[in-house]
Amino acid sequence: MKDEMILQVQNLHKSFGDHEVLKDINLDVHKGEVLSIIGASGSGKSTLLRNINLLEQPTGGDILFHNQSILSDDFDVTLYRAKVGMVFQSFNLFANLDVLQNVMVGQTTVLKRNPDEAKDHAMELLERVGMAPYVNAKPSQLSGGQQQRVAIARAEAMDPEVLLFDEPTSALDPEMVDEVLNTMSKLAHTGLTMIIVTHEMQFARDVSDIVCFMNDGILAESGTPEQIFEHPQEARTQEFLKRYLSRV
Amino acid sequence: MSHLFRKFWAVFAVLGLGFGLAGMLATPTQAASKDNGEFKVGMEAGYAPFNWTQNDSSNGAVKIQGSSEYANGYDVQIAKRIAKALGKTPVVVKTDWDGLPPALTSGKIDAIIAGMSPTPERRKTIDFTNTYYVSNMTIVVRKDGKYANATSLKDFKGAKITGQLSTSDYDAISQIKGVIKEPAMNNFPAMRAAIESGTIDGYASEVPEGSSAEAANPNLKMIHFAKGQGFKTNPDESDLAIGVRKGYEYKAKINEVLAGISQKERTQIMNEAVANQPSTGNTGNWFVSLMQQYGGMLLRGVGMTILLAVVGTLVGFLIGLFVGIIRTIPRPRSTGKRGLLRLFDWLLAVYIEVFRGTPMIVQAAVLYYGSAQALHLSIDRTAAALIIVSINTGAYISEIIRGGITSVDAGQFEAANALGMTHFQMMRKVILPQAVRNSLPAVTNEFIVNIKDTSVLSVISVSELFFSGETIAGQNFQFFHTYLVISGIYLIMTFTISRAFRLIEKHMDGPKNYNVMNNQMQVETPRIGGAPRKDAE
Repeated sequence: MKDEMILQVQNLHKSFGDHEVLKDINLDVHKGEVLSIIGASGSGKSTLLRNINLLEQPTGGDILFHNQSILSDDFDVTLYRAKVGMVFQSFNLFANLDVLQNVMVGQTTVLKRNPDEAKDHAMELLERVGMAPYVNAKPSQLSGGQQQRVAIARAEAMDPEVLLFDEPTSALDPEMVDEVLNTMSKLAHTGLTMIIVTHEMQFARDVSDIVCFMNDGILAESGTPEQIFEHPQEARTQEFLKRYLSRV
Repeated sequence: MSHLFRKFWAVFAVLGLGFGLAGMLATPTQAASKDNGEFKVGMEAGYAPFNWTQNDSSNGAVKIQGSSEYANGYDVQIAKRIAKALGKTPVVVKTDWDGLPPALTSGKIDAIIAGMSPTPERRKTIDFTNTYYVSNMTIVVRKDGKYANATSLKDFKGAKITGQLSTSDYDAISQIKGVIKEPAMNNFPAMRAAIESGTIDGYASEVPEGSSAEAANPNLKMIHFAKGQGFKTNPDESDLAIGVRKGYEYKAKINEVLAGISQKERTQIMNEAVANQPSTGNTGNWFVSLMQQYGGMLLRGVGMTILLAVVGTLVGFLIGLFVGIIRTIPRPRSTGKRGLLRLFDWLLAVYIEVFRGTPMIVQAAVLYYGSAQALHLSIDRTAAALIIVSINTGAYISEIIRGGITSVDAGQFEAANALGMTHFQMMRKVILPQAVRNSLPAVTNEFIVNIKDTSVLSVISVSELFFSGETIAGQNFQFFHTYLVISGIYLIMTFTISRAFRLIEKHMDGPKNYNVMNNQMQVETPRIGGAPRKDAE
């Protein structure tokens, strides 16, 4: 039913020196899909996400965006990145800019929107994540949860086709995790394509269309949340979930 | 490996530059100066009674090029006679002692009339006319000191004696048995100050210089050696002559003029010079009289120092930003662009290594004298000074900015990249504002260093504050007082700068008592406890 393919990861390899982190990853992402990637620390989840956004250069294989290789020499990387947003584990809000400027700067410099338009759009998004009252604050004056909500608004402001989330709640205090997850849930329901690397199993189960389990540099298993969480086929998936879910 | 290679090439480039410079200085080229009816004479204008600086044109003084001051003294009077015979206008180019030979060979001046003796070393690069003053050496000591009553060189056994750098006077000190030959000093004001402070016991000098020191400063005394007990000098090497370029067309004419000035007339000129040299008006408060007499000169010195430091730091800062942006460009995908970027990177690395690795005084001499000698380019000395300070500071600030960029969190780069910003957009909007804030304390440092270190530019005769101070001390003989005032002025300038930058830093950090809830979308500040607005529901 969701037929249009946005991203295709084909036989992706990534090594840091002799250390092979990603071993032959294949992944298709359709338009409007919410895809969660779970797995143990060090399994290569974040590296996969960073390769998709070209923050890391793949050492093998290919990534197609609308059937076009993003690795070819003539591919416009900056344009691609404007269409594929990213939310980081450590927020990475621009420390020299206030909240409003953080959400506006990408629009005015990259998309060349005029400042008034960019400001209206930014205010609308900040309103939605509940950060409108803080427009004049500098990032260092905000809590982690507040910063992450601004970071989500900043990524959204570019009107991206795909949003990547790299463990967006891992650096947060427990009481702030919910505010960020709520924001993301709302976003998931708007029909935006999202790839989420997360350790929040309940969240992954609730919002995802597809859940992928990564283990030791390969995609061990993927399926609907129901398939993965209720009837995992692979022994590694079962063991991981057992360990993870028993903690709660 | 490639890193080592890059270092190697940088060193190679510096060496190349050095050899090139040596080659330029060794081959005196033909006159770069145009014959425009001027006879340009180089002198220190700080070696009374031979030459000194004064504020007005009294007693037949000659205007100093590019300044509102005048030069006078024995040398100036001789220069006027020569210029008259050549049918030219005499112009004095005030130049540091070390700057005189390069100024001559590069055509900035036509002759050196500065109490210089024609030593064999000097004869290698420049030519000399016949003697214009017969040398007679002496030693200047403290009047109340242990050596005040000396009459023979033997009396100076164990004394600490110095002389001016690269002069025959200094070489002659070796004739004293058992003397402690102190390192040579740069100019006479410094030596007189050294005697007064007791760091040396005396300095070797010419008799006229000694008598004027004695006349102007009651604490000093010139030794009168008993016959045959003084310095033995070789007239060819130690008598004073006029330095000219090799093959100078008017050399014979100058010798003719000199032959026409009798010994009696020479003595007469010298006596007048000793009588006319500026003396200290020791009436009332020394500070008030110093300011009255030299306030203008000091102010102009301060103006030049500030101009050099401000322009140098500002342009250097812009260079630093530019280099910072270029050197952090990520590796482009296409091979051609990558090669180009690498070449550019390498050039910038060479620039930084060369300008950080050589003294500014040398850079200034190379640019100012070198360009005239090798390329026949005549650069205005203030322009040359501004260029040198700017690119020198640029080399340092480039590295400061690089450090500032490196210290910005990697997440800031990633977030900017992830938004689709180009390298330049990222640098302008996100990285440089933070990098500059991080670098500001170090940039302030550079600014302060520039205020002080531009004093080395006196080598190309830029009259900044220190050069003015040297001139004043050379005239009024109040070394301690003059330098005290100079250091006070320096301190005021540097203190003001460090405070101003502290304020800028504070401003950049933003207010500490922020109100995060203050919504700038509100058109008006809500009134608390005030009357309700008319249009309120």
